[in-house]
Amino acid sequence: MADERFLPTQRPHALPGRPEQANLADILERVLDKGIVIAGDIQINLLDIELLTIKLRLLIASVERAREMGINWWEGDPSLSAGSSADDERRLERENKELRERVERLEQRLQIGEGEPAGSSSQAGDRG
Amino acid sequence: VADDRLARWAADRAPEVRAQAEDEAVAEVRAILRDALVRAALGDRERPAREPPGRKPAPERPAPARTGHGQWLYAIMRGGAGIDTAALTGVRDTPVQTVKEQELIALVSPVPLSEFGEEQLKESLNDLPWLEDVARAHQRVVDAAFQHGPVVPLRLCTIYESDERVRELLVRDGKRFHELLDAVDGKEEWSVKLFADAAALREEAGRRGGEPARAEAALGAGSAYLARRHSDRAVAEAADRLAGELVEEVHARLQDWAADAVVGRPQNPELSGHSGQMLLNGAYLVERERADRFAELVSELRERHAALGVRLEMSGPWAPYNFIPTEP
Repeated sequence: MADERFLPTQRPHALPGRPEQANLADILERVLDKGIVIAGDIQINLLDIELLTIKLRLLIASVERAREMGINWWEGDPSLSAGSSADDERRLERENKELRERVERLEQRLQIGEGEPAGSSSQAGDRG
Repeated sequence: VADDRLARWAADRAPEVRAQAEDEAVAEVRAILRDALVRAALGDRERPAREPPGRKPAPERPAPARTGHGQWLYAIMRGGAGIDTAALTGVRDTPVQTVKEQELIALVSPVPLSEFGEEQLKESLNDLPWLEDVARAHQRVVDAAFQHGPVVPLRLCTIYESDERVRELLVRDGKRFHELLDAVDGKEEWSVKLFADAAALREEAGRRGGEPARAEAALGAGSAYLARRHSDRAVAEAADRLAGELVEEVHARLQDWAADAVVGRPQNPELSGHSGQMLLNGAYLVERERADRFAELVSELRERHAALGVRLEMSGPWAPYNFIPTEP
């Protein structure tokens, strides 16, 4: 059926016509998620399967997609919630601004800010 | 004066240090979370650290053993399909048989209910080696059927009490099965996946974007760090855009040659063993006569984007799993 030319070059074990050699991820995403669903006599409650195989579903899909699949138990925990990168950046910029203002205030109080640009810290950079 | 300098140095460094600490913390949390999820997914018996206490189910009572056999249903095909099931074995090496009705053939095999009863299945389905064995056997039978004409694959674990009950199903839904078989007749499913090398994409994005590095000497160390971070992020975003365009182009070209197409979720490298980033996990329903041209197209796209560190992998032909509606 399939010409040899069509075989995936990167994955010699996934040979068409020899499905037992195919990648398990390819097989599981098909037999678990696709295929017509008909209620047999052995009642495997589909909802149960959904719940029970969440761990396996994590394996089948990528971990990053867990949230998309409604697996988000870590999100309620602020210590684990990283926030989006845009939020991150905004927060960082705000904090930076606040810190600069504090530095300026400190410099004014210490009266060492005159005649010297606030950011001239090449020494600090060298030491970093 | 030394104290002042030290104070200024510390104040100037604060944003940078803080940003670095945040980055490290986020990366660490991600790593911990990922490890925990993977460990859980791999069936480690250890309870995940963050699972709230009290949610651990009570020790399971051994389910009452069921006796007898059920008929595991693999696929439905046309009555005229010349399939010889004599040498074909299904899950747990059970012999595959046919149930014929309404000019349809159902492929079944008798499975012991002591292993395939409801309670047992709920546990076994979470046992990856067990699942792999059963899934491969199921797929093997579906694929054998697919060699002999169009098939409607059944979802894993569709089990009937008897041949008679399978017959009833074929009578009840026979018309629908014929429609589904007609819809995929002469077509096969091909999987095409696109993998990218993140570093190569970033490099290319940086080259195309070419945002000149700002004179960091003019900035404080903290500002310089933020500027660098900003520019890194811009490159990362450009790389994402580049990846998006790439995937869109490849998918569109393939879709043009396919009767139908479905984009699936990227696979987990823990399971698939792939390297790089899976940006596209596409399934394409292709007319058998056009499969040659489709494969050439994949080769062409592969060559065109090879410089970007992009890899295109093709596997198939598969029975049209992705193109049979899951509801009858």
